[in-house]
Amino acid sequence: MLFVHELHSVVGKQASAFESAFRDGWMPALAREDDARLLWYLDLAHGSGLSYRVVTVTAVRDGAAWERLAGRVSGGDLRSWARHLDRLQHRSDARVLAPLPWSPELPPLEEIPVEPVEHEAVLYMEDTMWPHPGRLDDYVEAAGSVYAPSLRAEGGRMQMHVDLALRTLPGAGRRPEVTLVQKLESVPRLLHLLANEPPPEVTGPGSWMDRALELRDQWRSRLLRTAAWSPLW
Amino acid sequence: MLYLHETHRVMGRHAADFEALYREEWMPRLAASDGARLLWYLDHAMGSGPSYQVVTVIALAGGEAWEELAGRVLAGDLRDLDRRTDACRYESEGKMLLPVAWSELQEVDLGEVPSDGREHEPTLYMQDTGWPDAPLEDYVNLWNDDYWAIMRRVPAEHRLLDVVACFEVAHGTGVRPEAMLMQKIVNLELLGRLLTETREYDPSTWPGSYMAKGLELRDQWESKLLRTSRWSPIW
Repeated sequence: MLFVHELHSVVGKQASAFESAFRDGWMPALAREDDARLLWYLDLAHGSGLSYRVVTVTAVRDGAAWERLAGRVSGGDLRSWARHLDRLQHRSDARVLAPLPWSPELPPLEEIPVEPVEHEAVLYMEDTMWPHPGRLDDYVEAAGSVYAPSLRAEGGRMQMHVDLALRTLPGAGRRPEVTLVQKLESVPRLLHLLANEPPPEVTGPGSWMDRALELRDQWRSRLLRTAAWSPLW
Repeated sequence: MLYLHETHRVMGRHAADFEALYREEWMPRLAASDGARLLWYLDHAMGSGPSYQVVTVIALAGGEAWEELAGRVLAGDLRDLDRRTDACRYESEGKMLLPVAWSELQEVDLGEVPSDGREHEPTLYMQDTGWPDAPLEDYVNLWNDDYWAIMRRVPAEHRLLDVVACFEVAHGTGVRPEAMLMQKIVNLELLGRLLTETREYDPSTWPGSYMAKGLELRDQWESKLLRTSRWSPIW
């Protein structure tokens, strides 16, 4: 399975039309074939970063399925939809991602909803890391064996878990790069994290924060909120 | 056919090692498969932009060939080579390109692409990347109708460049809207005039020209002057 991750810079006055284009256009258009499904439609939470940014994640079955989808967009039945979208966004920045060996699995494509189902909005923390040159494999291993289990540990600080752990595919983005899609289960814990300095046991010698500096010191977190109809939430 | 375009930020002290890895390992090992070939190895000409940047373009037979190559790089026989390449660069930025309908370059016969490092004179390319604020296809059509169609009619001795290929970014692999021209400089003297002469390209003095009309669709683009290595399979 591959994942097309897009960050859209939306024209503010067209934000509603942009969302409709994905809910009423992209999602059902993908459902006409077996190759791909829209997974997440996420708004970057206002107050936490750039304005009018939307993240969409589309799952595609494999490389051949991606090629067929790209063909539909560039010269097939989705060409006019893409042209319409060009009017609603300033630009989009996209990557194709593949799961890390330890990534949790998602439901099969056949089980992904293809019609809007209303639900509560859910907050995600999307972390993108750029490991030091030559340290990608070491970082991937450490993130899977140390970081991800620590999120699940009883009494964990964040009450958050990794839904998907991904790396950027050669030829479809920046490398080396790792992206973690993490579902937040407690907003109060997030607010505590934001408002307080991390305690010494979190940053001190021997901690994950300390040891991981050998592998990377550059990353970016985004707080993303699912749309009320996002297929996954 | 797909074209995997990568821009590498190379460590200056390891620039020769980086080039050797592509010439002696990536090129022949890609050629050992049916679905991939290194086409271009291009240095960003120093003095015209960032230091130690290299552009590579790999032709791929299709989506399956891309997935196969990615598997070899991430967890297969090219993993060690990729790690050694990583040790010579700060990062690489990749995207997958599709030829637009009017592009002269469409398919490449992968079996005919040299992979033996044969030497030739370096060639200069102007790679133009544009980001329209209008629908992408309108911009791509402008390039054909108001730029290349006119340039193509210019006598060879007065022609600055040949448009070798025009690409759009394949869905999901980079910026949209974005399109790219790969242009081979065929007259260095005319390039010198372009770099020093402003009046001819001033849209206010050339109303109706490509430059003026182009402003209706975009005002953001980037030109890179890229020089092929002496062993680049295509030059």
